[in-house]
Amino acid sequence: MTIVSMQGIAKSFGPSRALEDFSIDIASGELICLLGPSGCGKTTALRILAGFEQADCGSVRIDGSDISPLPPEKRGFGMVFQDYSLFPNMTARQNIEFGLRVKRYSAKERTATVDRMVDITRLGEHADKFPHQMSGGQKQRVALARAIATSPRVLLLDEPLSALDAKVRESLRDEIRRLQLEIGVTTLFVTHDQHEALAIADRVGVMSDGRLEQLAAPRELYESPINSFVAGFIGTVNTFTAHRSSDRLWEVLGRTLEASGAIPAGTTAAAVIRPEQLALDTHDTGDSEVRSVAFLGALTRVVLHDASHGRIVADILSADAARLEVGARVKIRVRDDVTEVVLIGAHS
Amino acid sequence: MSATPTRRIALPAVRGGYLILIGIYFLLPLLAMARFAFQNVPMALLTPEKLLAGWSVSGLWTAITDPQVMSATWTSVQIVALSIVLNLVILVPVAIVTEVRNPALRPLINALTLLPWVIPPIALVVGVAATFRVAAPWFLASTLSLVPFYALWAMPFTYRVLDAGLQAINARTLYEAARGMGASFPTIIFKVILPNMRASMIASAALTAALVLGEFAFASLLLKSTLPTEMVTYQGSDPRGGLALALFVMVVTAVILGLVVKAMRRQGINFQASGF
Repeated sequence: MTIVSMQGIAKSFGPSRALEDFSIDIASGELICLLGPSGCGKTTALRILAGFEQADCGSVRIDGSDISPLPPEKRGFGMVFQDYSLFPNMTARQNIEFGLRVKRYSAKERTATVDRMVDITRLGEHADKFPHQMSGGQKQRVALARAIATSPRVLLLDEPLSALDAKVRESLRDEIRRLQLEIGVTTLFVTHDQHEALAIADRVGVMSDGRLEQLAAPRELYESPINSFVAGFIGTVNTFTAHRSSDRLWEVLGRTLEASGAIPAGTTAAAVIRPEQLALDTHDTGDSEVRSVAFLGALTRVVLHDASHGRIVADILSADAARLEVGARVKIRVRDDVTEVVLIGAHS
Repeated sequence: MSATPTRRIALPAVRGGYLILIGIYFLLPLLAMARFAFQNVPMALLTPEKLLAGWSVSGLWTAITDPQVMSATWTSVQIVALSIVLNLVILVPVAIVTEVRNPALRPLINALTLLPWVIPPIALVVGVAATFRVAAPWFLASTLSLVPFYALWAMPFTYRVLDAGLQAINARTLYEAARGMGASFPTIIFKVILPNMRASMIASAALTAALVLGEFAFASLLLKSTLPTEMVTYQGSDPRGGLALALFVMVVTAVILGLVVKAMRRQGINFQASGF
């Protein structure tokens, strides 16, 4: 069931257009990530939903009713900001309690709720500390507890992990997902980090230049990107020229593969091949030269320069990479177990 | 490789030398003042055995207990207190509303608060005096007529301190966070923003106090007897006592400012964050 529905939203700041015909439906209990480079409009979309910005046109509906005229304080959302935005004059407990006080919960309810929040966000001994006595990860846990304490209809997270270091970011990311599933709150999460988005979202919306390019489950985004921007933004990709053999069959690097998804018109197209879909054969007359070899554990990442396709990245089993050296000449081919290929329009 | 050790030695040496120079530049006149004020020996004939002779605080004591100095001090204390209050009452709401609601207005407000700097005191006083002498003569007659002048005169400094304080606490996101939780505007101001502005408000009060205690032009032009004008008058009749008084006021002001900073540190308030 759809809880949040944003339809046909546009927003400009002076001459620059931040959002263009932005539409999204979020189902109850779903976690959606808006993913894109900075300036792509993802934060603007979140701020319009929160009520901090007014859309130039379009509608914002919650449970079917239009909330566009409502100010943020009347929307009943929970929000977490990138810079924590904890109230410095209050302890963690008091921060969590703030929204409950504003909403006039009884003292008993407040204590019980704060205790529960401290418990589920594992704040424990930090509950009576002031923000300046806490680490970034702890602060953001308080911010999260504060945002969900009032049982919001929708939880909005604006790059909540960007200010944290890598290790904390990963554990807090998983914690956010765990909490979100536990309390079942509908969530919109804005980030520029593809790993973050792919790891926790039910669906990811990839944005660029104020437009939602594709909204799909992480796996679908990875396997069937709708265009080269999405393909390039979600993981590493190589593009090769594909030639049409028949309607659904296309030839890529000497292999005939079945096109998945939309089939472009014309006789040539760009085929998206992920690094792990490539295999390398050492060959003295190969068209590609190995430029670097990086051991990543089970896989080894090989960067090559190809005479006709430029820079190519291949992830191959480390066992097969032992004989590869920088400067070696190789032939690139598509792995035998790959039978489908994603095409993204005419290849230039 | 060879440059690094040299630099490591040279930098502290340069720094130290610089500090000593600055120290001499500031301290030498003060020491000379102190000798003149507190040592009763002929200045021109300084010999080692006279270095410790004839020191006395009697001149200072006479100056402090002078009834006119005392009454001028009391007047100045009142003016300081009222100027601080008026300055904060005008500027705190302006700074908050600009920062959290109309950040686009910041450059304009910034420029407006600079205005008192570009109008010389003499022009301000002549203009205001000419107007009020006709419109409300009682206003100019009161010693407290200096308060509005000082409240405005301190504005270029204090507005910057308050503004920096708001920036330092990220007032805008705090405001949005509180709004998102359903808080009304007054609740946000009194429960969230103002409590976190303590540091910048105290800093701005200290600046106003320092400015008022050193201000001579307005008071003199309006013929008011404040501590600074009285010090000048007193110096005319007793140069040594007057100088002793000036030094004393300077030390007291510095000590008070120091205590304020210390008290704020003890409360965990970051003074740097207030832009002081």
